[in-house]
Amino acid sequence: MNRFNLLLLVVLLIATAIALFPIYWMVITSLKVSSEIFSYPPVFIPLKITLNNYYAQGTYYGALSQTAVGSIPWVINSFIASIGASAIGTILIGAPAAYGLVRYIRNIWLSRLILFMMMIPESAFMLPYFLMISKAGWINTWWGLIAVYLSLTAPMSTWLLMGFFNDLPKSVEEAAQIDGLSTFNIFARISMPMAAPGIAVAFMINFMNIWNEMLYALVLTYSPFPSGAQTAPLFLTGFIVIEKSFAWGGLAAAGTFVLIPSLIVGLVAEKYLVKGWTLGAVKG
Amino acid sequence: MSEVVLENLTKKFGSFVAIDNISLRIEPHEFFVLLGPSGSGKSTLLRLIAGLEQPTSGLIYIDGKVVNSLPPKERDIAMVFQNYALYPHFTVYDNIALPLKVRGQSKSQIDAKVRDVASMLHIEDLLQKKPGQLSGGQQQRVALARALVRDPKLFLLDEPLSNLDAKLRVEARAFLKELQERLGVTTIYVTHDQSEAMSMATRIAVLNKGKVMQIADPFSIYRRPANMFTAGFIGSPSMNFIEGALKKDGEWSFVAGGLRVELPGLSFSSERRAIMGFRPEHIRIADEGIEATVSLVEPMGSIIYLHLNLGGFEVIAQHAGERKIKEGDKVKVRLDPESLLFYDAESGDLVS
Amino acid sequence: MQLSRAQKIGLFFIIPLLAYFLIFFIYPLYLLFSYAFTGNGGLTLANFAKMASDPLLRVSLINTFYYYAGSAALQFGIGFLLAVVLNAYSGRLKGFFKGALFVPLTVSPVVIGLMWIIIFNPTYGPVDYILKALGIAKYSINWLGSTNLAMPTIIIANGWEYIPFVFLIIFAGLQTIPKQLYEAAEVDGMSHFQTFRYITLPLIRPIMLVAFLLNSIGILQGFALVYEVTSGGPGYSTYILSYYIYQVGFSFFNFRYAAALSILFLIIVGVFVFLVLKFTSVEKYLGLSDHEQV
Ligand SMILES: Nc1ncnc2c1ncn2[C@@H]1O[C@H](COP(=O)(O)OP(=O)(O)OP(=O)(O)O)[C@@H](O)[C@H]1O
Ligand SMILES: [Mg+2]
Repeated sequence: MNRFNLLLLVVLLIATAIALFPIYWMVITSLKVSSEIFSYPPVFIPLKITLNNYYAQGTYYGALSQTAVGSIPWVINSFIASIGASAIGTILIGAPAAYGLVRYIRNIWLSRLILFMMMIPESAFMLPYFLMISKAGWINTWWGLIAVYLSLTAPMSTWLLMGFFNDLPKSVEEAAQIDGLSTFNIFARISMPMAAPGIAVAFMINFMNIWNEMLYALVLTYSPFPSGAQTAPLFLTGFIVIEKSFAWGGLAAAGTFVLIPSLIVGLVAEKYLVKGWTLGAVKG
Repeated sequence: MSEVVLENLTKKFGSFVAIDNISLRIEPHEFFVLLGPSGSGKSTLLRLIAGLEQPTSGLIYIDGKVVNSLPPKERDIAMVFQNYALYPHFTVYDNIALPLKVRGQSKSQIDAKVRDVASMLHIEDLLQKKPGQLSGGQQQRVALARALVRDPKLFLLDEPLSNLDAKLRVEARAFLKELQERLGVTTIYVTHDQSEAMSMATRIAVLNKGKVMQIADPFSIYRRPANMFTAGFIGSPSMNFIEGALKKDGEWSFVAGGLRVELPGLSFSSERRAIMGFRPEHIRIADEGIEATVSLVEPMGSIIYLHLNLGGFEVIAQHAGERKIKEGDKVKVRLDPESLLFYDAESGDLVS
Repeated sequence: MQLSRAQKIGLFFIIPLLAYFLIFFIYPLYLLFSYAFTGNGGLTLANFAKMASDPLLRVSLINTFYYYAGSAALQFGIGFLLAVVLNAYSGRLKGFFKGALFVPLTVSPVVIGLMWIIIFNPTYGPVDYILKALGIAKYSINWLGSTNLAMPTIIIANGWEYIPFVFLIIFAGLQTIPKQLYEAAEVDGMSHFQTFRYITLPLIRPIMLVAFLLNSIGILQGFALVYEVTSGGPGYSTYILSYYIYQVGFSFFNFRYAAALSILFLIIVGVFVFLVLKFTSVEKYLGLSDHEQV
């Protein structure tokens, strides 16, 4: 038994090493001096550490740009799009819809509809979304991006929060009814605060999804803050795909920048994510 | 204080009839208990009165006014739920204050009332806590406070004590009863605990399968249950039943198999098949009487339950214990004719 | 249809979602159809007829299948295995492993693409170096530049991110099995294998199905890695349908054909989901079939 456990431990250690190594490599690349980045054999533990890559310059669309620090205008857009789409999708659309479905409507077809919305592949809808947002004159704007991102955040929040509202004791709402609160006030002042943990989880899952999203941003935006709404993932692909850049130090620094917010949110929400992802099939 | 009248009230869930054509009247100041087994429709009836459910047919009057179409908040009622249903994100103070706040009362008015009711229920020290930090008994008091703070016309309680441990429950029972008498507010109280019903009610309505089986004061319910259901449901251990026939042979008697009970001084309208009922305390060990064999002795502390074979029928007798009796003993027992009850074998109703 | 009072109130709460649904799900579908079925000033099936003789579509479909099958097998296989291993492992590091194995899920596909470009570089990348040091490879391998290896490299990158997804879900499922069941099995004299076969597997089957369905949909969503790391190349070796739709729409600006391809993609995903729902009971586990009783 003990030897068996030891074998399991070895498997887990190898898996963990593989899971963490790419991140480790990117972070140390961002801290290496150029001669250690481009060396053979590769340097696994850098001898010299520098923050220069975070300020280093590269060309971007032909213009000189700082890589990591230069990504800040894109990062700002990412924050606005992620927070905006998550907040609107969760609080203004998902929570009321979930509440209405669980407490008043209880229709299986409406629930299936939400599942259907979550299964649409982005690449199948990028064209019509592009056409719609162009027509509205919202290309390269936050509004255009957020409007489309709601297609990802609203169904996810609705589904997740249906589970949460369903778990709330109904009698508290009935007590509020007897105490004289209106239907809307019961929702806003009693049920919403009670579902606050669920709303936080929905918000975090959505934040991560939108933070990491690239396809819609690719077709709907083309320039960074303040003139446009292009997000951080496109800053990276801009260097890699368009410029074919080999400034690995700077790219790794920018990649680290993009990684940190979703990593933090992910680690905070880790415990609840499974429940969110499985749409409640696994009671977490 | 209010009077509640139900007229031919029926509630269906789909095709399932939860409340079946109930009519009754609850007097002002009354402590009215709805008693019945699980699933008998007690909560449903209470929720209909509260306005949390809409009746399928029938009328509900509060103070002579039909309230069927009024939402709960306009019925001027207060309700305490089994799980208390406190707002977990508000402090105790805000929980109690909310019903007043939404009715637009002024801050100082609210504060005075909240403190008043809090001192009445001895929860002044808890006002700044959240419900999650309170014990069961404390939560129950907060729920009462929230209900009482509004001076409601009608007070509805759905098994408010069932989440408390046994000792607290007895304390809370006395406290609630005393409080209700002091305030005089008409109260409808749901429970499936008959000792609770007996000790608190001015009148009890016994419910079964959505129907009212009997409405009476606790004493009558216990002494003269109107039908087999109530007779069997009230009392622990249950009333003894023996099926047989009422015969007139000069004097009336009850005959079942080899058992014959003379009923001097009683008279009935006609001979019939009937079920004889008597409580364990109404069968006594005596020097003279009917032969019985002791099949089991169940000591309960101050008293003993004897399981007896009485002419082929199993019955339970309550024995005070002044005489040592063991299993297998042959004893003689007496039934007090005054305390015997007879139910029609067909309808199950009391024969008198 | 007559709405009850409760349904009317409910409607009020779901109006924002329904409105959004009409504008951002129904209208786009309408747009797709109206673009795909029109051309040269009238209704036409030309955009669909064209598919039959489109070699790039053929390649994309084959690659999509390759990419899907490879990714699903890798992610489900390894994810399942890791979940079972971590569940069986007892030790203080259990929580740490769960947290560490979760981390890749938080990384944006775009960042993963960047990592892969650096790590799998044949000259300076650590992967080649390690393989050579371990004696597995003799020469440098041009992972992303070879038509044979580019797709496997993409599949590995995608797997790196989503193995944790399968792992976490199945691990959560394993954790919900009550300990007493294992104890009962032990008392009944079941072997480890029998316990796994007759207790564990049947109990986590629903969760495995859910993981499979959601994981599959996630895989089919893939686009960023191909766009960023290989741009469909070398040659057309990593052209997958989502990338092809993007190229047709936004490089060749043939919106009508792109719309037709989008419909094709929706049909493929739709049929897949339909088959999974039809032949498994996953819908029940998602709480859909008995939702009314909730
Ligand atoms: N919303 C509902 N939908 C369908 N059936 C219901 C509903 N509410 C109650 N019922 C049914 O009506 C019957 C009476 O329920 P009710 O809750 O009134 O019983 P009760 O006497 O309060 O029981 P308990 O002592 O268990 O609380 C039960 O059979 C119950 O299943
Ligand atoms: Mg009840």
